[in-house]
Amino acid sequence: MLEKPVAESPWWRSLSNPRLLGTRLSSNVELLINFIVVVATIVFILSQGSGFGIRIAQLFAIFAILAVSLNLVIGYTGLLSLAHVAFFGVGAYSVAILTTDAAYEQVPGHIPHFGLSFFTALFVGMAITGVVALFVGGVLSRFRDDIFVLVSVGFAVISHRIFLFWQPVTRGPFGIHAIAKPEVGGMVIDSRLEFLFLTLAFLVIVFLISWLIVRSSFGRVLMAIREDEQAIEVFGYKARYFKLTIWVISAMMAALAGGITASEQTFIDPQSFVLLESILLVTIVILGGLGTLWGSLLGALVFVLLNEGMRFVPFLPGELIGQARLAILGIVIVLLMLFRPQGLVGRFKL
Amino acid sequence: MRKLLLSILVSLVMMSILAVGCGGDATPVVREVVVEKEVVVEVEKEVVVEKEVVVEVEKEVVVETEVVVEVEKEVVVEVEKEVVVDKILEPFRIGVMESLTGPGETYGQVAVQSKQLAVEEINRAGGINGRPLVLIIEDEKCNARDSITAYTKLTQVDKVKIILGTSCSGAMLGAAPLAEADGVVMFSGLATNPAVADAGDYIFRTSMNDAQVGIDTGNKLWSDGIRKLATITEATDYAEGVRRESANRFVALGGEVVAEERYGSEETDFRTALTKIIGENPDAIHIAAQAEFSGGTIQKQVRELGYEGPIYGEIVVVGATALDIAGESATGTIGIVAELDSTNPLAVNFLDRFRARYAFTTLQWYMGSAYDDVYITAACLEQTGDDQDADGFRDCLYNMEPFSGTIGTYTFDDKGEVVGLSNVIAEVVAVADRTPENSGWNILGPAPVLP
Repeated sequence: MLEKPVAESPWWRSLSNPRLLGTRLSSNVELLINFIVVVATIVFILSQGSGFGIRIAQLFAIFAILAVSLNLVIGYTGLLSLAHVAFFGVGAYSVAILTTDAAYEQVPGHIPHFGLSFFTALFVGMAITGVVALFVGGVLSRFRDDIFVLVSVGFAVISHRIFLFWQPVTRGPFGIHAIAKPEVGGMVIDSRLEFLFLTLAFLVIVFLISWLIVRSSFGRVLMAIREDEQAIEVFGYKARYFKLTIWVISAMMAALAGGITASEQTFIDPQSFVLLESILLVTIVILGGLGTLWGSLLGALVFVLLNEGMRFVPFLPGELIGQARLAILGIVIVLLMLFRPQGLVGRFKL
Repeated sequence: MRKLLLSILVSLVMMSILAVGCGGDATPVVREVVVEKEVVVEVEKEVVVEKEVVVEVEKEVVVETEVVVEVEKEVVVEVEKEVVVDKILEPFRIGVMESLTGPGETYGQVAVQSKQLAVEEINRAGGINGRPLVLIIEDEKCNARDSITAYTKLTQVDKVKIILGTSCSGAMLGAAPLAEADGVVMFSGLATNPAVADAGDYIFRTSMNDAQVGIDTGNKLWSDGIRKLATITEATDYAEGVRRESANRFVALGGEVVAEERYGSEETDFRTALTKIIGENPDAIHIAAQAEFSGGTIQKQVRELGYEGPIYGEIVVVGATALDIAGESATGTIGIVAELDSTNPLAVNFLDRFRARYAFTTLQWYMGSAYDDVYITAACLEQTGDDQDADGFRDCLYNMEPFSGTIGTYTFDDKGEVVGLSNVIAEVVAVADRTPENSGWNILGPAPVLP
């Protein structure tokens, strides 16, 4: 399935020769896409001011962590999972419940109070999610292909139900508010810019870990599982354990993103962890390209830009703004997939 | 070929984002035609060139010297010139955040339409102190994340300090901490979660707290002689709030809740849950729904299962779509609703204008609430004269004289909660008698007050 990249002279050679550069750009769509996306991002952020730029970057960072971790499962191991939002939610709820003791005056009943600091709660939350993922993965590893997808949908729905109905712990549809901000050595990270740097730092860590996994022999086994699971078993690899391991790692990364989101928004409710979010995440991964980490970053960036850029589409009547923006977004995604089913920088299809 | 098409597509998409990003909003411009009188002085110079006449008469040569005549002519021309001057009357810019898409879109759409109607009326009548009012509308998609993004866009890009909205309490609670920290007023006509009351100093609403509906419902149940109640509730913050407050009041008065069922927003078959609660033999069933679809379907299915006792519900259960779905099954259902007063000329006029413009009405009370918010905003802007003065606006709301609007006459308390409004009891009439004017109900009067 993988096309071998053709050995070419480095792209910068072509800079000295305008004609060659022209051919290069039209022939190398990936380079062009990278260039366009990055320039569009910079211009968008510059034109909209730093405040909104920070928000865009924050959304990008969260989506990027989720997309990179999901790509490990979908793109590298070939398991099309729609359960990612469940781990995102478990992470968010863990941090929310472990850090906060807020009670609304008019909403009776207290959720359990633990009073942990943000970072402790984040790691405990990731551990909890890891255990949950191990259990779910144990069930899911019995299924393959389309049945696997359906069962993962089932798990995403179950988790949403639990957030919604387990009221003594999650406070159900009322959500949890006043979630604690991270504190480093007595300094509370509460400004939006500081929070962005924290999230980006986590993104870098997640990206590096993912990169190491992909480059290692472990990663090569995962890709072999994607290509032909039975063949790799013949060589004595227990594909099941490899799948379970990457599943748990990916889930814990999603929980990390969830914990950061909870603290950043200071308010979460079950509405943020619906199945649709999972579908969006899979869209981002496919949009960026399966089996490429850089593609996931690019996919997250393009998605956030398109999604939030729609807020600036002019000349729409007030009553139709919301619907029209979503319709345009849908059309753009359909067109992108029509002309580039392998994703922006990806090399293989699902 | 494919690559070429793709690159063209990608660049088009990105370029359109750039173009959009760089483009500003259209600010309404008041065009003034100034007639300027310009006096143009033209100086014409007439030069009569030398004439040399040489006459030779025999041997006598007479040379007539050249004659140069210069005539200076002054021409004064009066030109009337029409100069079009674009005189920009700086408009008041107000942000609006509603659920244009997502689970709350039924509410968000009519809220935006009502607000636009109000803005058009205000601007047609000459604006506020001669300055027009402009709404910048954003979609909060009924969840905290998009609500924060919409809030950031409004405050950072559009630089507004006053935001009307949101439709969903979850979206309100997501953005409220930021608004409180930034000193931005958020003023909702639709959020009903009790928790919004404590969300902060800058947070206001004209929508009644869910607790009010609950207390009125509990009183009505008890005074109708109901002693054993069964409830079926959609698991959303609004419906759950209504159920809890109603049940609490009912139990406090001495009633007993014999069955409690909940369902998720996307369920369509309620027969199992209904069979279960009918089996408990309750005196009445109370329905709390967030979506009119489930509110209507439950009434239809409970009657199909043979239940003949009374049904109580809140506004959604007796909404237009719910009644369409339930048909004759809904006849006799008691709704404890916030409803526009049909004797209030403001409300009647508003509904007529809304119907004329959009050819429908639904959730009329919430439409009225959203509409009133714009007029209250206009009144306060007239007082402060500055759309960047959030503190002045906030104080104006706290100190507001009783405001007479479509939903009644009311003020705000020290938590930014509306004071002076109440619910009414509505009984659904037979299908043949349902008209858009009566919403399909017969109003029985205000909710009973019990000690």
